[in-house]
Amino acid sequence: MDYIKKSPWICVYNAGSCNGCDLEVLALLNPKYDIERFGCELKASPRHADILLVTGIGSKQNQKRLKLVYEQMASKKKVIAVGSCAISGGPFREGWVFTEPVDRIIPVDMYVPGCPPRPEAIIDALIKVLEELDGDKKDKPKQTRRRSKKAKK
Amino acid sequence: MHNTTLPIGPQHPSIKEPMCLRIRLDGNNIENADLRLGYVHRGVEKILEGKQVDSALYVAERICGICEVSHTAAYLSAVESAMNISINDKVKYLRTFLIELERLHSHLMWSGFLAHEIGYETLFMYSWRERERILEIFDKYTGGRVHHNVSKIGSNKYDLPENSKKFIFDRLDAVAKHAEKYRREFEKDNIIKARLENVGVIPEKEAKRYCLVGPIARASGYKVDVRKDNPYFAFDQVDFNVITRNEGDAWARTLVRMDEIQESVNIIKQLINNMPNEKLPKPELHMNASGEAVGHVEAPRGENFYYVKINSGYLERAKIRTPTLNNIIILEKILKGYELGDVPVIVGSLDPCFGCLERIMVAKDKKIEEHDEDSFRKKYCEIQKPEVSYD
Ligand code: SF4
Repeated sequence: MDYIKKSPWICVYNAGSCNGCDLEVLALLNPKYDIERFGCELKASPRHADILLVTGIGSKQNQKRLKLVYEQMASKKKVIAVGSCAISGGPFREGWVFTEPVDRIIPVDMYVPGCPPRPEAIIDALIKVLEELDGDKKDKPKQTRRRSKKAKK
Repeated sequence: MHNTTLPIGPQHPSIKEPMCLRIRLDGNNIENADLRLGYVHRGVEKILEGKQVDSALYVAERICGICEVSHTAAYLSAVESAMNISINDKVKYLRTFLIELERLHSHLMWSGFLAHEIGYETLFMYSWRERERILEIFDKYTGGRVHHNVSKIGSNKYDLPENSKKFIFDRLDAVAKHAEKYRREFEKDNIIKARLENVGVIPEKEAKRYCLVGPIARASGYKVDVRKDNPYFAFDQVDFNVITRNEGDAWARTLVRMDEIQESVNIIKQLINNMPNEKLPKPELHMNASGEAVGHVEAPRGENFYYVKINSGYLERAKIRTPTLNNIIILEKILKGYELGDVPVIVGSLDPCFGCLERIMVAKDKKIEEHDEDSFRKKYCEIQKPEVSYD
């Protein structure tokens, strides 16, 4: 992973999920998956975070709050919708509290399907978003080469 | 003295799930608390109405991600007794096996969560490492870590894979060994004791008055356990103790759960050793059955209760009563008189699970009102706005 330059912090927002997706996101912290390898850390406050993970259907109660959380984040922010609930309403799309999927409420950059997605899938999405956050992927090998030359000198 | 109102939630560091707790403080002491729910309400009972009984199972499984098996089992036992379906011993054993595995994973997850709340990150990591071992067993048997989808009405999709006994026993032994170590830590460590002892005390009388269930009632000396009181599935064929303590504080709740981990490991070992050699019946569709029944199981957090009414294969009504809703009602009462720093411990020790808990909708004067956060606060909350007053 020599092309990750930043260490982005992550914030989770539960917008009406069944806890399954939240558990899988929290499982990223444990020694088996350990996302701190990539410099990511779960932060509680959206003001500290660069990446927002949204789980759940985005029910009526949550929509205002979700927008607020999104607006509080510093710019150059990325949003990942985790789980089929966040993508389309999943098993609860017939319910009366579901009005629209999360990507109609706030802009979403990456979708992780699954009910719930496995932690590996969430890590994969995180790394893809990290690449985007770091800028163009093309100039990455160049930079590393330049850096290594400097280090040799 | 300052009189401050402090909103906690719905998005807050110490609470992983959305709820809104508004606390009136006098200096550092809690005078009053006010709880608002409804952020995770998904209208599940309404979705279940009018669904075919086999396909409603899919939704019932997804009510909660932590106690998924208990919801499935309670739904199935209600539906099966409504339609007079009897299940054979093999299916009973497999379901009991899943329920106990779930209790293990839930208690381990919770103990890590409590350790995180009191700032003991190492114990949090250790507990969650043990939880992964349980999830590996789930993964091997069902192919899913959180939602399993193995139960069917009257049957189970799969049998236990061959030669899985050693795989399961290895992991269970490791979990039992480590959980014993963490229990000692919770019991002996002076710092943990200082944070947990005499915090959020619930006397036995209050526990009965508030109809508490599960480990919280048992920690107050109130012996309720559906597994013993009204044995379902294979619980009448295994040997185990119901663990109770008399202190009723957060510390007692912790130790009750840590002891239950050992009991669950024992139960699972007995189940696997005595697993009957029958064949699983073929799952069928149930299009014509009608009836009405209740079913209850002991979920990791207490009694999980289902009522179903079936009309020619379709659900007419499903009522779900989850343990966490019973248990959270007492929160406002026991918060009073403690300090602000105790809030995460007290909330954590009640082990709320908001996915299960959001079952209620209040119709006042026969009118249904829809509120968002602000309008609800304006109309109903005693504590209006975050305010600071100096006198
Ligand atoms: S996608 Fe599945 S696991 Fe995730 S919140 Fe929705 S129902 Fe739960």
